[in-house]
Amino acid sequence: MVMSKRRNSKKVLFISAIVLILSTLLLGCTNESKENSTSNKDNKDMLTLAWPRDIGEMNPHVYNPSQLFATSMIYEPLVSYQDGGKLKPHLAESWEISKDGKEYTFNLRQDVKFSDGTSFNAEIVKKNFDTILKNVDLHSWLGFITKVDQTEVIDQNTFKLTLKEPYYPTIQELAVVRPVRFLGDAGFPKDGDTSKGVTKPVGTGPWILEEYKADEYAIFKRNENYWGELPKVKKIKVKVIPDAETRVLAFEKGDLDLIYGEGAISLDAFKQLETTGNYETSISDPVATRQLVMNTKKEQLSDLRVRQALQYGFNKKAMVDGVTSGLEEKADFILPTNFPYTSDIDVTAIDYNVEKAKALLDEAGWKLPKGKNVREKDGKPLEIELMYDSAESIQKAMAETLQSEWAALGVKLNIVGVELTVQIERFKANDFELNFFSNYGAPYDPHTFVNVVGSEGFGFNEAISSYPNRDELLKQIADVPGTTDEKERQELYSTILESLQDQGAIVPISYIKKIAVYQKDVSDFTFPANRDEHPFTGISIEK
Amino acid sequence: MGTYILKRIMAIIPIFLLATLLTFGMIHLSPVDPAEAYLSAAHIQSTDEILAQKRHEFGLDQPLHVQYVNSIIKICQFDFGISYLSNKPVWEEVTYRMPATIQLALGSIILAILVSVPLGFLAGIKKNSVIDHFSRLLSFFGASIPSFWLGYLLIFFFSVKLDLFPVEGIGTWQHLVLPSVTLALPLIALYTRLLRASVLENLQEPYVLFARTRGIHEKVIMGKHVLRIAISPMITGLGMNLGKLLTGTIIVEAVFSWPGFGRYFIEAIFNRDVPVIQCYVLLAAGLFIFSNLIVDLIQMCIDPRISRKGGQRQ
Repeated sequence: MVMSKRRNSKKVLFISAIVLILSTLLLGCTNESKENSTSNKDNKDMLTLAWPRDIGEMNPHVYNPSQLFATSMIYEPLVSYQDGGKLKPHLAESWEISKDGKEYTFNLRQDVKFSDGTSFNAEIVKKNFDTILKNVDLHSWLGFITKVDQTEVIDQNTFKLTLKEPYYPTIQELAVVRPVRFLGDAGFPKDGDTSKGVTKPVGTGPWILEEYKADEYAIFKRNENYWGELPKVKKIKVKVIPDAETRVLAFEKGDLDLIYGEGAISLDAFKQLETTGNYETSISDPVATRQLVMNTKKEQLSDLRVRQALQYGFNKKAMVDGVTSGLEEKADFILPTNFPYTSDIDVTAIDYNVEKAKALLDEAGWKLPKGKNVREKDGKPLEIELMYDSAESIQKAMAETLQSEWAALGVKLNIVGVELTVQIERFKANDFELNFFSNYGAPYDPHTFVNVVGSEGFGFNEAISSYPNRDELLKQIADVPGTTDEKERQELYSTILESLQDQGAIVPISYIKKIAVYQKDVSDFTFPANRDEHPFTGISIEK
Repeated sequence: MGTYILKRIMAIIPIFLLATLLTFGMIHLSPVDPAEAYLSAAHIQSTDEILAQKRHEFGLDQPLHVQYVNSIIKICQFDFGISYLSNKPVWEEVTYRMPATIQLALGSIILAILVSVPLGFLAGIKKNSVIDHFSRLLSFFGASIPSFWLGYLLIFFFSVKLDLFPVEGIGTWQHLVLPSVTLALPLIALYTRLLRASVLENLQEPYVLFARTRGIHEKVIMGKHVLRIAISPMITGLGMNLGKLLTGTIIVEAVFSWPGFGRYFIEAIFNRDVPVIQCYVLLAAGLFIFSNLIVDLIQMCIDPRISRKGGQRQ
């Protein structure tokens, strides 16, 4: 017995020794750092990036499962959305809008060819519009589609769009990635209905889809006959890597040149990559505002003073900086100010002020009873529920911050995590008290956001029902799209946005931004102004 | 034997019906509307018109029982419907991704057998030896580590740091190594312990003693008799796990960007792509049933006692 025990303990020692040696070996490996970050070596002139999803079918006229950025590499719009919300000519060289705001005449560029060599002209523009208009219901979210009266070919290079009623955002909506981008004739199926699929992804854009393996990768090659600025790299490989941590590991190994997008990697991973100093990182301008929506239909939130108290009662900057590690920026306006008509909004600034918050709540009749920590009014406690998307860690962390900050005011915040689709559904059904929301971003706003606020069935319309000026506000919202005078339009937008914000039901929290990390040999990476597109024309690699 | 197999195959029908009913019920209990999920995946605003159009297109505007019966009739004709998301036949999408998943599952099962049979066997016949301790350590490790974490660790050490294997993707045999190991480790943990216990148990059996007294060589006793009988519980375990293995690939496929069926299924769940979910559940159910059947048949071949009733030939 004694012998075998001793033998056993010897063996245990031996095994522990081996484990120790092995683990130090592994640990030793972690200290070894690469001198220089290098891009993948397999192909010169090829930029490799990762994307969480398969790029899908490259059909410019449908939605799922094709990925917007990939569609924007192949297909182009008539009008392009640029920095500061400027709408620049793209496939259309210029356009004229009739006085009544109903007729749009586009002069098309004459030097544009599709990637198969056929020329881009008014005929093909009309053909694309007509196939899109066959599915009006599917595209009805895009305002101008439902208002199109007719499409006409005036001559080889002139195309005319006639609307049933004036709708000013038409030009801006023509910049979206789908469905109004142009497929070459060879891409149309026999029956001409692209909603069922395209035969070949033929576009006018800077890239041509060269190789595609579903769920694995897609390789785009440069369109040598591109009419615009020729891309600097010859090929772009999009690797499908669904897992964010794996993307980071593949990037660290040098398999990837670039990772970019909204939430493409975790905040921690981004910070960690940034601090190594081995890589380049960049953050875009605001693409949307993260908002907190208060449902004024609920009794406790129907009082403006309560809504204001809640805004005074949390340190927005500290929360945004803390939760997002500085990747998002504290927002002062419900729409980012780099969008059209949003730069000149005059609202009352609300700064962190706990005393003022408490005073407002007292004034509103919500008093703190002795010995309790939740305020009450007529025996009812001040209890509010906040709904957040359980898959989004930022929303969750912000909800928790608000919970603790408002607890200090005597407000009990219950936070409820739900699936994104449930969040949308409950918001639309007005079944919420507080909810996170974010606007659509460029090139959809401000008109899409304002329209959603004004229309029934999206959540906002009901949520702002306690606003004293609600009817007037809804009328102004309804009037905006039909305006033909630039000055009048700007005034309307200013009034609407100021009023929405001052009444305190829509609270700007932070500006959402895109992030990018790339290897040191990648240069001239920029974020396009359009949230959905990425034509990769300027980017280059030095190998 | 023939009637036995036939009986087992007939049992599949009620199980299939139950599986489809359960999935159908559960999908409809979920508060998420597939049409809404489709639009949110498309990044477009959901107006009532589009929602109504999509619901009609997906057949969701029909009464529930009609939807269920229709889907069953179609499935019987091997038509799993059209994926809501990609607008392509589900069966086409599934068969496209199936080979990758099978490759991964087979790779890991072969690896599991190659490691656990010798390890479990040696651990059993040499109780408390170094090998036994090692197998115990490996089993604890393999049984307790979550597979996604193991996957990241393997990538970090063997791919990023040591540059021995690719981080992710499919193609060469090197691509297969890390995901297979990730998937195989819990199996190795399980089977090694199973086989060890079974070997130990068999060593106490009288037949071992008799064989030894008959002077049969120790190697023959162990290899030909003990292993052959002791391996039986492990094969049962393997059969039970074959179905689980295929479903277990989901996480591993996501971590290693393996373009298989599991990843496709996960996305289908998030997008409430009902036809895909149904197809997956049916396939998984079918796989569980068939793998159990096959295991039973293998057992009969290895250990003829099973096919005899009460020790008598049928």
